[in-house]
Amino acid sequence: MAVDPLAWLSSATGVPYWALRAVAAPLLYPGLATFMAVALFIIWAERKITARVQMRVGPLYVSRRLGGALQLLADGVRIAFQEIIIPEGAEKWSFVLSPILAFTVVSLAFTVVPGGPGVYGFRSSLSLLVTYAIITLTPILVITMGWASNNKFSFIGAGREALVSITGEATLLASLLAAAMMYGSMDFVAIVGEQAASRVPGIAANPVAALLFFIAALLVTDRVPFDLVLGEQEIVQGPYTEYTGLLFALTMALDYAKLYVLMLVFTHLFLGGWAPFASPLLGSAAVFAKTVGLMLLAVFLRSVYGRMRLDQVASMFWSRLFPLALVAFVISALIHPIYTP
Amino acid sequence: MATTGGGEEEKGGGHRRRPGLVRAHLDAIAAAARRLAKPPMTMPLVEYGDARHPGYRGVILFDYDKCIGCSLCAQVCPSRAIKMYRVPGDKRLRPGYNIGRCIFCGLCVDICPTDALSESIVHDKVYSDVPSMDMDPVDWALWSREVKKEEESPEKPLLRARVDPERGLVYEPVGEAEG
Repeated sequence: MAVDPLAWLSSATGVPYWALRAVAAPLLYPGLATFMAVALFIIWAERKITARVQMRVGPLYVSRRLGGALQLLADGVRIAFQEIIIPEGAEKWSFVLSPILAFTVVSLAFTVVPGGPGVYGFRSSLSLLVTYAIITLTPILVITMGWASNNKFSFIGAGREALVSITGEATLLASLLAAAMMYGSMDFVAIVGEQAASRVPGIAANPVAALLFFIAALLVTDRVPFDLVLGEQEIVQGPYTEYTGLLFALTMALDYAKLYVLMLVFTHLFLGGWAPFASPLLGSAAVFAKTVGLMLLAVFLRSVYGRMRLDQVASMFWSRLFPLALVAFVISALIHPIYTP
Repeated sequence: MATTGGGEEEKGGGHRRRPGLVRAHLDAIAAAARRLAKPPMTMPLVEYGDARHPGYRGVILFDYDKCIGCSLCAQVCPSRAIKMYRVPGDKRLRPGYNIGRCIFCGLCVDICPTDALSESIVHDKVYSDVPSMDMDPVDWALWSREVKKEEESPEKPLLRARVDPERGLVYEPVGEAEG
């Protein structure tokens, strides 16, 4: 191990290594600090890509030389100084606390999802399930937001969130379990180890599970073909309609954080994680690059598809994709020997 | 299920077959990706102005010295944007102009016997309040001089849009293209 700042810090201060790691992973990498940088880049890229596909230029005049890359910082400053308005009929405490709590819950996922070889907060034999549990906690808080806002658009959005989360999470869980069955493990480190040992990335072994995971991730994070919860033209901003200022920024960051976590999970499950590399630095860079690439693909799809209707989404997921998950299980059962010789 | 549908297109057939599910999605994604490689078609209006056709119907300009006070313009104006005003120290009535009512039809310019009224190529003017859009004859004449100056020497270089069969909308600088 060439340079490990945490080990050095641990020996210098006497704080145990695992404690430092448990703090550094959710706060620095792959946690909040990295997420902020990724979110700044991804939202800019989303606007730029959508603009180019629609023959426009996109953000440009804030920092011209960088192609408007600092636009989001400018927006962030504006949002930071905006007054946080709590509507008269809203339930004050649940209105204020639920976005904060939702974002906190999502950022807890960074403790168990590794960002590279040896770069994680905790290693658990069930880390895949823990991540899934954390991600699927947020819809309850989103429904709380919609209910507390006391606004008809928020009510409708919360109702949609309830339906969409149940629909998406069933498929998400099925594809996750299919992958876990294939590797015979629910530990990210072991899963990546299996892929590195056999030199077959999961997406090649079980493309059906990978596709299902990606589509379900798009639904769970309100990406465009399934952005029913936000549904800008129909219900303004869904459950987030009444939010202003930093609380609105949190609600917006919530979906991007979920996307980031799920794409990290996708990288580990199906793209071999840090597979070609074994050193912490290069491995982390590989994971980061793969994750950002997947997020770029997810935001690119925004310019390809239109929004599906609620009943179309429900029937597509329950009557087509969920049965397809059973096919993924069959493939996993057949392909299982290549990972556990 | 998702892998059904080969999607081969029948050539010369009576109707086009619907492509298969996978093929349709790949086509849509490829179309967007192709679009991504092409340059944008919008015009950078912060740096450049929009060159207008010479026959463009913009705001009406008024030359006080040519006016004979016949009030034909006020009679013909369909939206009553032009009304006749009494100007202190002047025996005749002179036209005043409410730009908020004007529909830029140009009938007043056509009917003016002495060409005191003329059309400009300017129409994108901004006013701070509604009363300042209603000008009396003297204000109108003075304002017309300013607009004329602005028309002759635009503050930004001008671009003109042209439809190119291959590249789509193309913007060309006006001065160089016409020599």
